[in-house]
Amino acid sequence: MRTLPFFLVCLAVAAAVFVLARLVGNDYVFFAGYVVLQYIVLATAWNILGGYTGYVNFGSAAFFALGAYTSVFLHKFYPLPIPVLIVVGAIISGIVGLGMGYLTLRLRGAFFAIATLALAVVLQTLVTNWSYVGGARGAYVIRPNEIEPIGPYIQYLFLLMLALAVIALTVARGIERSWLGLGFAAIRDDELAAEASGVPTLRLKLVATAISGALMGVAGAPFPYYIGYLQPTSAFALDYAVNSIAMPMIGGTTSWIGPLIGAILLGTLQQVATVTISSSVNLLIVGLLIVDCVIIAPNGILGLIQGKRTAREIVTDPAVFALLFVVNVIPIYFLHQEALAARPLEIIFWAVLVFLALARGRIIGLSWLWALPVGGAAISVVPGPFWLWLLSALTLAICLGCGLLMRPPAPATRSGTP
Amino acid sequence: MLVARQCLFVRALGGLVDFPFDLLINALVAGLLLGAFYAAVTIGVSISFGMLDIVNIAHPGFIILGSYIAYIVNTKLGIDPIVASIVVAPAFYALGALVYQVYYASFERYGQDSLRGLAFFFGLLFVTEVTLILVFGVDYRYVQAAYIGPSLQLGVVDLPLRMLVPCLVALALVGALQLFLSRSFLGRAIMAVAQDQLALQLMAASPTRIKRIAFALSIATTAIAGALLIVIQPVEPSIGREYIGRVFAICVLGGLGSLTGTLIGALLLGIVESVTSTFYGPSWAPAVAFGFLLITLAVRPAGLFGR
Amino acid sequence: MTALLEVDNVSKRFGGFVALDGIALSVTAGERVGLIGPNGSGKSTLVNCICGTLTNEMGSVRFEGVTMNGLSAHERTRRGLARSFQLPRPFASLSVAENMRVPLLYTVNARPGAHLSASAIEARCAELLTLVGLAEKAKQLPRDLTQVEMRKLELARALAAEPKLLIADESMAGLSNTEVADIVALLIRLNERGITIIMIEHIMRAVMSFSQRLVVLVSGKKIADGAPDAVIRDPEVERAYLGQ
Repeated sequence: MRTLPFFLVCLAVAAAVFVLARLVGNDYVFFAGYVVLQYIVLATAWNILGGYTGYVNFGSAAFFALGAYTSVFLHKFYPLPIPVLIVVGAIISGIVGLGMGYLTLRLRGAFFAIATLALAVVLQTLVTNWSYVGGARGAYVIRPNEIEPIGPYIQYLFLLMLALAVIALTVARGIERSWLGLGFAAIRDDELAAEASGVPTLRLKLVATAISGALMGVAGAPFPYYIGYLQPTSAFALDYAVNSIAMPMIGGTTSWIGPLIGAILLGTLQQVATVTISSSVNLLIVGLLIVDCVIIAPNGILGLIQGKRTAREIVTDPAVFALLFVVNVIPIYFLHQEALAARPLEIIFWAVLVFLALARGRIIGLSWLWALPVGGAAISVVPGPFWLWLLSALTLAICLGCGLLMRPPAPATRSGTP
Repeated sequence: MLVARQCLFVRALGGLVDFPFDLLINALVAGLLLGAFYAAVTIGVSISFGMLDIVNIAHPGFIILGSYIAYIVNTKLGIDPIVASIVVAPAFYALGALVYQVYYASFERYGQDSLRGLAFFFGLLFVTEVTLILVFGVDYRYVQAAYIGPSLQLGVVDLPLRMLVPCLVALALVGALQLFLSRSFLGRAIMAVAQDQLALQLMAASPTRIKRIAFALSIATTAIAGALLIVIQPVEPSIGREYIGRVFAICVLGGLGSLTGTLIGALLLGIVESVTSTFYGPSWAPAVAFGFLLITLAVRPAGLFGR
Repeated sequence: MTALLEVDNVSKRFGGFVALDGIALSVTAGERVGLIGPNGSGKSTLVNCICGTLTNEMGSVRFEGVTMNGLSAHERTRRGLARSFQLPRPFASLSVAENMRVPLLYTVNARPGAHLSASAIEARCAELLTLVGLAEKAKQLPRDLTQVEMRKLELARALAAEPKLLIADESMAGLSNTEVADIVALLIRLNERGITIIMIEHIMRAVMSFSQRLVVLVSGKKIADGAPDAVIRDPEVERAYLGQ
């Protein structure tokens, strides 16, 4: 469908979401929903530069915080309505993105990624030392409790973020289907060949960086009003950098749908987890999901839906099997020590372990290997005395041992390529 | 007597110009000591990024892991942290080999885009940091050793032993690696694989094995660098993040693939950070490294000694 | 008549290694030039310098009388200089047809005055794919193509840019005799339509049947430049191919 009808459909969906949220009757839905929507914008923005064009941005927090601090700066200077702040935030972040791109995009992708990290830290240091916007002590942003005609202020913010999500998705989809998207894909696949085919690679990369930066800034502009008290450590929080990479990667980087799926899934998961478990375990889960996803399902959930093979044969290598296995046991152990409500989250990692055992079992001829982690999961998830967990740990140890000690049969026909 | 005359001279100069020369000299010396330590921290990345083209963003994570292991051994067994780290280094070597094997099997072999490799290391960095937080908490940890505390006085210059000893160990580490790379067969094979993988293959050496050894070596250095870190300052899990930028800034500044360049770049960065910190306050220090990086990337991406 | 392409004293070093040493070459419009030389003689480096992928330290490249120094590769392509890569570099995530759309959208459509509609682009894609015999594979991904088909895609993609000068870098490696003859016939047809072609090849049969003029590169230096029959009999050229 063309872009305009898509935009209207999105608006309709957004309106429906808002109405449903109001029906729930609990304002918490809006607080949590705001964060998920914010991540939809951030993930979509990241994906334009990262997924479409192939340039990884580790400093999403920088652009997000730029938007937030532009709001704070203007708020102290002269209070403006939030939509105006959003536009200003977009412009500033876009310009900074352009500038940073100009400095670093002539180099290889790895240098660009490192430079984005550098930018985030430099910006954070500058902001921490700038007392006008509060510096290290932070800045208070007074906001009204209610706003006509919607009601509670948080609902107004939620509505704004809904609109921004719709805009972000429309922009991403529009780019993806246009000649610009084709140019981005060519750059991602082979920059040298793209250049030889007439694609002005530097110019397009700058466009991608500017759009991506602007959208991230847009996500950050209302943030001071949401949180009420803005400190550099919360604006530049690592969560933003990690999540804006994890969500598109887990959802799928080749299309606008991927970041949407990733943001909804991961965002909701984290909102639930924040209530039941500590925020460190939160980050642990995301970090692990990145590692899992990148090795097992390189094309994300979208890739799985489209039928692209998961890398089942990846576990042919015992080192991969061992590392993935051990790395996925860690969160289970820590989650187990948290409140009982955290048990359901363990299931994600148990599922990964079962998958690993299944794939590895098939390769080494032990097709029943998957039964071990399944048994371990059953024992672990059901509430019981702590020593019961040792039993499930034992099943895991046996699974790992069998998986490593047994060798796969005669070498595969695929020869090692240089 | 020479020392006494130096002191007089410096104090006289300081009195004349109303500039804290003794502060400056101390800042410079501290910068040199710090820079040598930074070289130890970065040398691993010089190998993995400079020679193998692997962007191991998790490197600082391994260093912090090394710090904590040195801490455990020191508090439970009372062994000197640096000695402990040398003993633990082979274990880190094995870990490095494992990580490289996974990286190779999942990403390098199929020539996948580097996005996934980067994300892999990014994930590892997080997992390490958060696991350490969950096990040890966010309190600062420090070690006990004979040389933490006392310092040497050379005229106006104050040389704290807790910085001097790591500096010397760091220089020894860098020197040993440089010797290994330039004199031994394996070392030269590593430098060869950095320059021309195909040629190495034609000479019947397996590039994968060489690269695995090189990467494992780079992780082994983190064990020692981690011990040096916890000697110099108390450590808590999120400190690693400050070092991401420093490490890559030094690599780029010094020129990829050149160990000497790394050393000189590290010393430079150490001095500038130290002087900035002394005269403008420590909150500006992180920006220095990254500012360096951005400027180098913009002006001379090949670095000082790079190819 | 002024030359279409003038390579004037071009030199390129990689560190201490001299890849190109004062290459001078002149190609008039409508010519068919063959470029041969042992492996490592600098042929691909010369192509890279002409097309802008690499920058030569010394000397200049002039196309249609305009100096190319300082122009990026995509600008040179837009002015009519196209090349195929020796090792095929397809856009792996795009289908074969979409691979063709990239140069059509970014080169042909970017030229002043041109504006192909979407349907015209589709038609042009189909036409080019039929020309190289890849029409049935239009919707497939490059990884599903054979090596030979990838080389044809490489050539087709270069042609899609509607060049005035095409440099075909070893587009026939691995092809069977009939396929080689087909490609040579195709290139001659294109030449008759007005495209100047420089062919870099190791397959002597193809080079001899195609070229009006033969240039030989050895160790970064041009050692022969003239009529194919004469160049082949040049003792220096014989020595270069038979070894010292």
